[in-house]
Amino acid sequence: MSRNALQQSSLKSNFFIVWSELVKNLKFLLAYPVVFVFWAIFPIFWFVPFVLQGQAFVGGLQSQSFAQIAGTPEFIPFIVLGAILNSYVLTSLYGMGESIRREAYRGTLDYILSSPCNKAFILIGKALSESLSSTMFAISQLAISILFFGIELTIGIIMPVIFIIILLILGLYGMALILAALSLRYKQAHDLAHTLEYVFYVFAPVRYPLGSLPLWAQIFGRLLPLTYALIAVRSLMLLKESLSFVYLEVLALLIIDGIVILVGFYLFNWMEEKTKKSGTISHY
Amino acid sequence: MAYSKENEVFSIQTFNLTKRFTKKKHKGIFGFLRRERKKERQKSKHPEVTVALDHVDIKIRSGELFGLLGPNGAGKTTLVKCLSTILIPDKGTAVVNGFDIRKQTSMVRASLGLVIGGERTLYWKLTARDNLMYFASLYKMPRKQARERVEELLETMKLSDRADERLEDYSTGMRQKIAIARALLHDPPVLLLDEPTLGLDPTFSRQIRTQIKELSEKHGKTILVATHYMDEADQLCNRVAIINDGKVVAVDNPNKLKSMVKETELVEIACYSPPQDIEKHLKSLCPDVDIVTLIHGDESKGNPSKIKIIGGNAEECVSTVIDGLRRKNVRISSLNIGVPTLEDVFIKLTGAKLTEGGGQ
Amino acid sequence: MDGGENEEVRNNKSLLGEMYVSNTSKSHRLRETKCPTGFNWTNLKAESRAIWECNIKAWKIELAYPISFLRECISPLIFILPFIIYGLVLIGGRYSENLELLVGTGDVVTFLFTGYLIMGFIGTAVWAMGFSIRREQWFGTLESIFVTPTNRLSLVLGMALHSTVHQSLGTAIEFTVIYLIFGLALKIGGILPALGIFALMMLALYGFGILVSALSLVLKEGWIVAEGLHSIMMILSPVAYPLIVLPNLAQQASTVFPTAPALVGIRAFLIEDYTPEVVGNIFLHLLALDIAWILFGIFVFHLSDIYVRRRGGLEKY
Repeated sequence: MSRNALQQSSLKSNFFIVWSELVKNLKFLLAYPVVFVFWAIFPIFWFVPFVLQGQAFVGGLQSQSFAQIAGTPEFIPFIVLGAILNSYVLTSLYGMGESIRREAYRGTLDYILSSPCNKAFILIGKALSESLSSTMFAISQLAISILFFGIELTIGIIMPVIFIIILLILGLYGMALILAALSLRYKQAHDLAHTLEYVFYVFAPVRYPLGSLPLWAQIFGRLLPLTYALIAVRSLMLLKESLSFVYLEVLALLIIDGIVILVGFYLFNWMEEKTKKSGTISHY
Repeated sequence: MAYSKENEVFSIQTFNLTKRFTKKKHKGIFGFLRRERKKERQKSKHPEVTVALDHVDIKIRSGELFGLLGPNGAGKTTLVKCLSTILIPDKGTAVVNGFDIRKQTSMVRASLGLVIGGERTLYWKLTARDNLMYFASLYKMPRKQARERVEELLETMKLSDRADERLEDYSTGMRQKIAIARALLHDPPVLLLDEPTLGLDPTFSRQIRTQIKELSEKHGKTILVATHYMDEADQLCNRVAIINDGKVVAVDNPNKLKSMVKETELVEIACYSPPQDIEKHLKSLCPDVDIVTLIHGDESKGNPSKIKIIGGNAEECVSTVIDGLRRKNVRISSLNIGVPTLEDVFIKLTGAKLTEGGGQ
Repeated sequence: MDGGENEEVRNNKSLLGEMYVSNTSKSHRLRETKCPTGFNWTNLKAESRAIWECNIKAWKIELAYPISFLRECISPLIFILPFIIYGLVLIGGRYSENLELLVGTGDVVTFLFTGYLIMGFIGTAVWAMGFSIRREQWFGTLESIFVTPTNRLSLVLGMALHSTVHQSLGTAIEFTVIYLIFGLALKIGGILPALGIFALMMLALYGFGILVSALSLVLKEGWIVAEGLHSIMMILSPVAYPLIVLPNLAQQASTVFPTAPALVGIRAFLIEDYTPEVVGNIFLHLLALDIAWILFGIFVFHLSDIYVRRRGGLEKY
């Protein structure tokens, strides 16, 4: 076989690896339709207490104190958008981050890692399947929000919002890749994902504007991709700003994405080598 | 062992024990979108059922070491689960140590020790001592008595010096020893062992078999060992029940079972690289024999495949068989006439194979 | 133990923890088993010991994952912080006029803290107890523990004990941090009666937890039911807002769960003024819920146990 033919078959086979991984994970997801419906609807209900709390404390649907920091007095759409984007955090941390551990638990990790393909494409396939499922859930949650929580969506902001979400996904999966790398070695993926979820829970402006946190917490919050995604999406959808208005947030997302993805891939390869040497790859 | 019928005492007795499972078919992601064909619709109205146990009647005497021999899927584990009350049978019942498995479940559980499921049935994040102390409390042993018993069992299993290490650091064989120790904590009169040596190396397997034999001979325990290893059943058991497709096809001591296959009725040929159609080919050459079966061996490890010819005039067609194999360019490594094993009995009675590799 | 061939009647004897049956119509002779059963002091002691040991086992396994243990200790604090920060941002301070109109107190921090006191214990019922069975399936130990003579409910209650202590630890940490950062206006004299209400609430939650554990035994995706029930209970409990904010139908539905009356009672003692009639009604309401949830939970658990043992698949997860 000629060298060019090998390269061509390699490109084709790499695409096939990504495609196979994507299809496999989607089959797992769709094998449990109840799980699918759950993730499509429930994350919204987790924010109902905040909505009711707001109404109880303020006595209405708007708060001027809130507007001074958030830029908008309508706290309900503010929270609901936070809920929708936050669901990407959950699915990426627990989905992607634990995907490696699930392979070990099923007993298939040894076979995957001993295959001749580049593992990066397997991870890309996993990331794509998680992104696709997260987006399906987000669309469903957005539809519910438009119907019940007063969110407005115009055609002109769809593309910019999608662009921001893609940047968010890249950043989250970079972090999830770091988690996946650590879980090869430290076997407690769920613990790591859970701990990182707590960080997002407190320091990301999911339920309140970033400015309401103390300065040291704001600095911490600014290390998270979700922070910039939330600021950007809320500016676009609630404050009706254009994409150029949020160029700083877009730039910050690009930088964070680049760093976490590079670190994630490097760390994953390094950890894979270390665990292969220690022989603990398939332990769970 | 000889028993006088008037004084026969049965520790385990089953009465028409039956258990069925409904088969589930998965139609795929978009199966609900596909229109079912008429045949499939009719099938779905009457779902397929697997009969795991089919009117099983066995009696195991007190103090007996009883083997349950059958391939994977024969119903061994299902029977063990029914006797241990993990599974409720659809029909029939059983009596364990005088207690009915349906009506007196607590007393049945107190009367037996169970080894099932291998090393995963223990807490790997706990030490061996912690595991045993915990299960001792579940067997309602007073704490002082439990402590003494746990130390005694760790000593017996030769694991005293590693008792305070977590099970995640143990080997598979060591974990299996702890699983057996757990079954013995409350000194039950009955032991149910489901594949106790599965996945263990020959050294550990031998140790465990020795322990099982001691428990029966020295301590008088009634032991039911479910296994697909014919050597294990042959060496260990006073009596063996052969089970296949949920039915018990024969029960007797191993020697009497082996005598079901006459010496003239068995020819075993060890060979390498037999073609796939060799069974058909040899059957056509020897129409009078009952069974011609090929059991694949792991030839890469030097274990040859085995062709067994059972029944009829097997001995008389030896030369025909050798000619037939040579014409197919099969390399013969050995020929054995008339030394039946339990596997041969199994094949003769059921027409099926016990294991592909010929067991351990 | 001998059984003569002419003996017709079965004899059951319970003597200092030993129990044996002689059924002699077919000359069965038995070996005695020393295991207490039935409703007697020895058996109750043994079941209590099993509950305690299950609790100890859970602690030992949890402490084998120190990061997880530490994280769970601070989780009550983590979960309350967003509610407090959000509340403070909404009203631009600590005092809410609207809240005072609704419940008689405008201090949002103390209001939220008293609500969040019980939040973790909802998790006890739903996750710790509810998923105790499922967790054993993941470990692979479910069949091993189900084959012992200990009552299965003792295992669930062992997990309940572990989780209750764990949550109490987390709540103590939460109280300390919130008190130091924000300060809390609580009535000291109301602590003991509030604890009484809390205890009654926990009994009903234990019954609810037994129900969820039964569901997790039957349903392979039982975590969805558990998560759903948890979310519903959170919404219907006045944790972060007074009950009156909910629609009428939801307010009526909330009376089914012990958390709603318990929170009203706890706040009455710790923050607000109370009348004996209101508190008396709350106590009676909680007692009725205790009996109802415990009996219902045990009933469903018993049915689920039989169903799963008929269907098979205890070891599958």
